[in-house]
Amino acid sequence: MHEPLRPIQKPTLDASLFSMRRVFYRYPDDIQALSCIDLDIAGGDRIALVGQNGSGKTTLIKQLCGLLLPTAGEVLYKGEQLKGEHLDRNRLEIGLLFQDPDDQLFSHTLLDDTAFGPRHQGFSRQDAEQTARKSLQRVNLLDMAYKAPHNLSFGQKKRAALAGLLAMQPNVLLLDEPTSNLDPHQEEVFLNLLRDFSGTLICISHDLIFLYELCDRAVVLDRGRIQHDYTLRELVSQRQSLREHGLDFSFRLVHTASSCDLAQSKPLDELHRTPTLPDVSEGKSLVFLRDYHYRYPDGTLALHGINLSIQDGERISIVGENGAGKTTLLSCLLGLRQGLGEFHFAGRLMTRRWRKTLWRRVGMVFQDCADQLFCPSVREEITFGLHQLGYSRDESRKRLTQVLSMVCLEGFEERVPLHLSGGERKRLALACVLAMEPKLLILDEPTAGLDPQGEELLLDILCNLDVTLLLVSHDMFFVNKLTRRTLVMHRGRILEDMPTHAFLQDERLGNLNELSYTYRRRSRSAILTMQHEHEHSHLHQHLHTHQHRHGEVEHDHFHEHVHEHIHRFAHIHPEDEKNHDHMPRRYHDHDHPGHEVEDHDHDHDHPEHENDTDDHH
Amino acid sequence: MANMINIQMPLWQLLLLLLIPLAAITIMVVWLRRIAYKHSAPEEKRDWSVPPLADGSGASLLHCWDVRCKIVTILVCSFAIASLNHLEPALVAIGVSLIILVIARVSFAKVLLRLLAITGFVCMFLVVMPFSVPTHNGDTVLVFNGMDWLGFNLRGLRLAATIAAKAIAIAVLMEPLLSTAPLPVTLHGLSRLGAPEMVGQMVLLSYRYLHVFRHEAQRMSSGMQVRGFRKRTDLETLRAVGNFIGMLFVRSFERTERVFDAMRARGYRGRFPEPAELRLRTRDLLLAVVWLTAGAALIAYDRIAW
Repeated sequence: MHEPLRPIQKPTLDASLFSMRRVFYRYPDDIQALSCIDLDIAGGDRIALVGQNGSGKTTLIKQLCGLLLPTAGEVLYKGEQLKGEHLDRNRLEIGLLFQDPDDQLFSHTLLDDTAFGPRHQGFSRQDAEQTARKSLQRVNLLDMAYKAPHNLSFGQKKRAALAGLLAMQPNVLLLDEPTSNLDPHQEEVFLNLLRDFSGTLICISHDLIFLYELCDRAVVLDRGRIQHDYTLRELVSQRQSLREHGLDFSFRLVHTASSCDLAQSKPLDELHRTPTLPDVSEGKSLVFLRDYHYRYPDGTLALHGINLSIQDGERISIVGENGAGKTTLLSCLLGLRQGLGEFHFAGRLMTRRWRKTLWRRVGMVFQDCADQLFCPSVREEITFGLHQLGYSRDESRKRLTQVLSMVCLEGFEERVPLHLSGGERKRLALACVLAMEPKLLILDEPTAGLDPQGEELLLDILCNLDVTLLLVSHDMFFVNKLTRRTLVMHRGRILEDMPTHAFLQDERLGNLNELSYTYRRRSRSAILTMQHEHEHSHLHQHLHTHQHRHGEVEHDHFHEHVHEHIHRFAHIHPEDEKNHDHMPRRYHDHDHPGHEVEDHDHDHDHPEHENDTDDHH
Repeated sequence: MANMINIQMPLWQLLLLLLIPLAAITIMVVWLRRIAYKHSAPEEKRDWSVPPLADGSGASLLHCWDVRCKIVTILVCSFAIASLNHLEPALVAIGVSLIILVIARVSFAKVLLRLLAITGFVCMFLVVMPFSVPTHNGDTVLVFNGMDWLGFNLRGLRLAATIAAKAIAIAVLMEPLLSTAPLPVTLHGLSRLGAPEMVGQMVLLSYRYLHVFRHEAQRMSSGMQVRGFRKRTDLETLRAVGNFIGMLFVRSFERTERVFDAMRARGYRGRFPEPAELRLRTRDLLLAVVWLTAGAALIAYDRIAW
C-alpha cells in the first residue's frame, strides 16, 4: 500500500472526481462547521479524513454525498455542481457508511435492505435480489439473508451495512468510523473488504493504525478548516504535526512496561494458568463468583460456569470477541441481572436483597456514555448519584468540585452534557461514577469513539486512580497500560486467567479467541520506524559491492569511496532513551538508488549490478 | 326488578366464586406462558438463508392467498364476529378460528402469546360485568349474606363470556393474517387497497426501530439504576423520569434524522420499492367468497337461531 515518502500528487481540476471550492457550512443553530474548504479528490484516491472530535469531518463527507449543501462555495462531482438533477443522478454512485449501522439497516430483512439501493438504481426485483445476494456473499452474510437486522450482532450489522453499499457498486465509498466498537477479528475482516474495494475511498477514523493500512493520503481537519493535505506516511511520521492537531497517537507505539503495572517478575509458564475453582476462604476477595451461570429469557446461555475472584485493589481486564459474554458478566456484577451460582461481594453472599444495593459499591462507565447521561447540566448529572447516596448539599458540592478537577472538566458545571464533545462526555460519565466512590470501577470499552488526545487524557486519569478496576476492552494498549491480570472470555466461559504481560506475549490466545492483532503489530512497528527516520545529508564513506567485469574477468568485491547525498536513516532508541538529542549513530544502512550510473573509478559494463543496499559510515 | 330471581348465598361462597376462577386462570396463564416461551425460543440452527415462510409450514392455503383478499376477508370476518350477540355463536366463531389456524399451519406458541396478552383485559370483563350490568326482568342474581347491592348477575357473566369469546376468536384470526405473509407484503397489500402508503412505511419503520428503541431505553434505564435510581412516589422520581423520557425523545429524534439521511443516500425519494408483485387469481376470489359466506352464516345463526 505504502510508497516511499513523496509529496502527494494533487489532482488537477480536470482529473478531479470531487472538487470543493471555498466551501463554508453553518448549521441552523449557528455553529460554523466548515470554513473555506478547498479540496480536490481524484478517482481511486484513498483518503484518511482525520481531526479531533467536532472538527467537521462528518459534515464534510455529508457535503460530498449531497446530504448537506454548502452555505457558500461549491462542491463539484465529475465537474458539475452536486445539486438538483446532477445530485439525483449521481447520488447512487456515492455510498456513505454511517457510524451506527442501525441507522442504515432500516428494512425488514438483510436481503431487503441490501437490495434497497439497487432497486432505486432501477434494477428489477430479481436482478436487485441477485446483486444483493452477491454482496451479502462478499461480506460473508449470505446465510443470514432473511434475518431481521435487529437480531444480528454489532459486527454483523456493520458488515450488512457495507453490503448494502457494495450492492450499489459505488464509485466512491465514504466511511464514518467503520471499525468503532468492532473486535479485532471483525476489524480485520472489515479491513480486507475495504482493501478489495477499487473505487475512491474516504475514511473518517481516529484509529490511525487502521488508516495506515487502508489509505495513502491524509486530510487533516481542525476547527472546520483543512490544515494539511499530504501522504498518510507524512502524517504518521511527524509527531509534532500530530500533536498540534490532537492526533498524536505515538504514546500507543512505545512499548514499555505498564505505567500502572506492578507485575510480578515470575517466569511465564508459572504465571500462565487456566481458571480454577476459587475458594472463598482463601482470602478477602472483593468479588467472588463460583460456578456462575446466566441464561437469557429466550434460552441463550450467556455465562457458563464462571469462576472468578477479584482482590481489593486489583486491576483486571476482560478480553474476548463480540458476544463472548463480557457485558453480561458486567451486568451480573452490577446486580442488573441475576444468574445461578455463588456470587459474593466483599465477603457477603449476594442474595436478591443485597444485589439491589450493589450500585453503592460498584460503578460502571458504559461503552456509549450517552446511555448514562440524562440530566440537563453537568452539575445535576454528577450530583444525581450523590443524592441517591444521601449526601448533603454541601458534601455534594465538595465532591462535584473534586471529581471535575480529577477528570479535567473544571468550570463545566453549568454545561449541557448533550452538547459536550465525545471525550468530554466520556470523562463526565467517569466523573459521575467516581463521585460515588465505588469500590469496584468497571470500564466498558473506554476508548470507543475518542480521538487520540482524548484517549491520552483518559489514560492519564485512569492511571492515577486508586481503585479496583475491571476493564473490558479490545484495545490492547489500554489493557497493557491499565491492568495486571487478564481474563480471556469465549462463548460465555473464562478460558484463561493470566497476567496481562503473559497474555500479550501469547500469540496462541489471539488465534484461540479470534482476536487477531497481527496487522496492528505490523503497522505499529512500521510507524514507529518512520517516526524515528531522519532525512539528512553529509559526506560519508561508502562501501558497496556489485558484480562487474575487468576485461575478461567477471567478479565482485567491495569498493569504497566518499561522497555526499541526501539519505534517510531509521534508528531505534535504547529502552531508557526517549528524546531525540542523541548523536547520529556511526554506522547505518540506507538505500542508494541510481548509484550504478554515478561516476566510479572503474567501468560498470556488467548488466547485473547489485548495489541496492549499501553500508555507509 | 319484580321478575328478578334472587338466590341467597353465604358470603364465603362469594370468595370461592371469585378466587377459584381467578386461581384457575392464573395457573392456566402461567402454564400457557411457559409453553409459549418454550416453543417460541429462537432456533439456534434455523436456516436464515431461505425465507421464513418458504419451509414446510409456509405452503398452506393462506400463505398462497393474495394478500389483499386475505386482508379484506379476515377484517370483514372480524367485524362479523364482533357483531355477534350470543355466547353460543361466539364459541362457534372460536372453533372456526381454530380450524383456520390449523389450515394456516402457523405457530401455536405465537397464538398463545397473543392470547396471553389479552388475558388481563378479558379477565377484567369477567370479574366486573357480573356485578355491574343493569338488572333486567328475568335475570338471575346471586345475593351474598343479604347484601342486595352486591348482586352477582348471571346475565352479566354470560355477557362478559360472550365478549371474551369474541375477543379470543378475533385474536386467533389475527395470527393467520399476520404470519402468513411478511409484514412488508401485508402492508403493501394494505396500501394497494387504498390505505395511505406513508402509513404503511411508518408502520414498517416503527416495527424495525421498536427493537432499537427498546434496547436504548433498557440501556438508559440500566445507566440510571447503577447510579442508584429507584422509582418512588416523590418529585425527584418524576424529575428523573422526565429527564429520561426527554433524553430518549432527543436520541430518537436524532436517530430519525440519521435514518432519513441514510435512506436518502441510498436513493429514497418518498417511496419504498414494492416488496412483491401482487396478482389476483380466480381461486383467491373464490376462497374469499367461501370465507365470507361462512361469516354471513355465523351472523345468520346468531340472529335467527337465538
